[in-house]
Amino acid sequence: MIDGAPQESLARSPDGSAVVELRGIRKSYGAKEVLHGVDLTVHQGEHVVIFGPSGSGKSTLLRTINLLEEPNEGSVRVLGVEYGPGLGGSEKRGGPLQLRRQVGMVFQQFNLFPHLTALDNIARPLRSAKRLSRADADKAAAAALQQVGLLDWAAHYPGQLSGGQAQRVAIARALSLDPKVMLFDEPTSALDPELVGEVLGVMRQLAESGMTMVIVTHELNFAREVGDFNVFMDEGLIIESGPRGFFETCSSPRTKRFLAAVL
Amino acid sequence: MVATYQWSLIWEHRVDFLNGLKVALEVSFVAMVLSIAAGILLALARMSKPPLSWLAAAYINVFRGVPALVSVIWVYFGWSLLLGISFSVFQAGVIALTLLYGAFIAEIYRSALEAIPRGQREAGLALGMSSVRVFGQIVLPQATKIAIPNIGSMFIGMVKDTSVFTVIGLLEVVRVTQNINSVTFQPFVLYTAAAGLYVIAAFAIDFIFRAIEKSLTTPPKGRIAHAMHGRRRRRVERVVRDYQAATGGA
Repeated sequence: MIDGAPQESLARSPDGSAVVELRGIRKSYGAKEVLHGVDLTVHQGEHVVIFGPSGSGKSTLLRTINLLEEPNEGSVRVLGVEYGPGLGGSEKRGGPLQLRRQVGMVFQQFNLFPHLTALDNIARPLRSAKRLSRADADKAAAAALQQVGLLDWAAHYPGQLSGGQAQRVAIARALSLDPKVMLFDEPTSALDPELVGEVLGVMRQLAESGMTMVIVTHELNFAREVGDFNVFMDEGLIIESGPRGFFETCSSPRTKRFLAAVL
Repeated sequence: MVATYQWSLIWEHRVDFLNGLKVALEVSFVAMVLSIAAGILLALARMSKPPLSWLAAAYINVFRGVPALVSVIWVYFGWSLLLGISFSVFQAGVIALTLLYGAFIAEIYRSALEAIPRGQREAGLALGMSSVRVFGQIVLPQATKIAIPNIGSMFIGMVKDTSVFTVIGLLEVVRVTQNINSVTFQPFVLYTAAAGLYVIAAFAIDFIFRAIEKSLTTPPKGRIAHAMHGRRRRRVERVVRDYQAATGGA
């Protein structure tokens, strides 16, 4: 189940402590297993990029980190606390609310709340998740919008924003909870090509600020640029992974074939 | 025989007519509020796991098929015998309507709730909101926006259904009309007035629900909707100004 346990992921960043540790993650929908026992470690400040063909399980893997997908087997540890089914022990599990308040997530379809203004998209969940007063939540929401350069759009509704602006609001919303790690699920795949740049710009800034990030993406040039650790997945398994320079040093024929087809 | 139509009767009995309409609207309004609450709970039960979903489906299918006349007699005479409580005619009317329209509104809410993309709920959960808050603050408001036009139609239906409550003696429009007719013998004039009242009520309800519908679209559409949204917009603008002032930004 925990195939090849002490792999390079443990050795790669000895000083950075692990923020996310996935071990032996298995996930099935009915009889169909889509993750066949996956291990992944994300260290403090690290930018992990995951890529691979459609249906390879990369989004599903990302979504197990904040338990939007509950794995059938395996361990999901975030900041040392077990949230998954675990590895056989009778370890105490943390609750999903506790987990999600430390993990930010950005979706392919933005998932902004269409009935709330940009400001309230951020302030409403803050009041609910962090029990902030209305005034404090408003202030934090304004600061988050400022961070992505959209404070002037605070009173607009999602329907009045471009795709790029909407995704930036979504990033600001996830950041407002002050997460320890940010998950990005194909954040630019639903955008018009000319709007991709502004979203990648915000993500680049975030990466430079030292945020721990896990990014599922088809933007391989961006992946090459920010990726400290690269993961190639296919058919529910990690085929190959490696540090910077992975695009040149990868050795699996499947990885090479994929990169050749996409780049 | 040449009939003489005394149209002045309508004006002479205007207070009675309007009181009848008031009662009809009151019964319907209370029943609508209760039906919406019952409908949401039934829709959730219908969308949950068996056996709860079966019970909800059975309730919905049974009570959508019961006519209001049967329902009110069943409640007013049947329930009081069974439970030993005697309801007032007003209470019996409200209960009878809620039993029926809760079932209709459950189906309206079920389709509305199913129309909300899964990502909305997932985004709320990913932001650390509890399931209950995600439902109450994210999913339900959006579903209500979808449900509002149909709920408006249901409300018009309720007002019309109050006409059968004349059998238990509720002083609604038809009962009032019958009472006046019994002393003036002018059925054509009086029932024309009654029909006119229902139609006017239907127009008014339609107008109100359209205004609500428009105010719930975001961004709001139309003058009334904008006026209703003004406060919210000014609050956001004030937050932005305060933030800019505090951080010294322009």
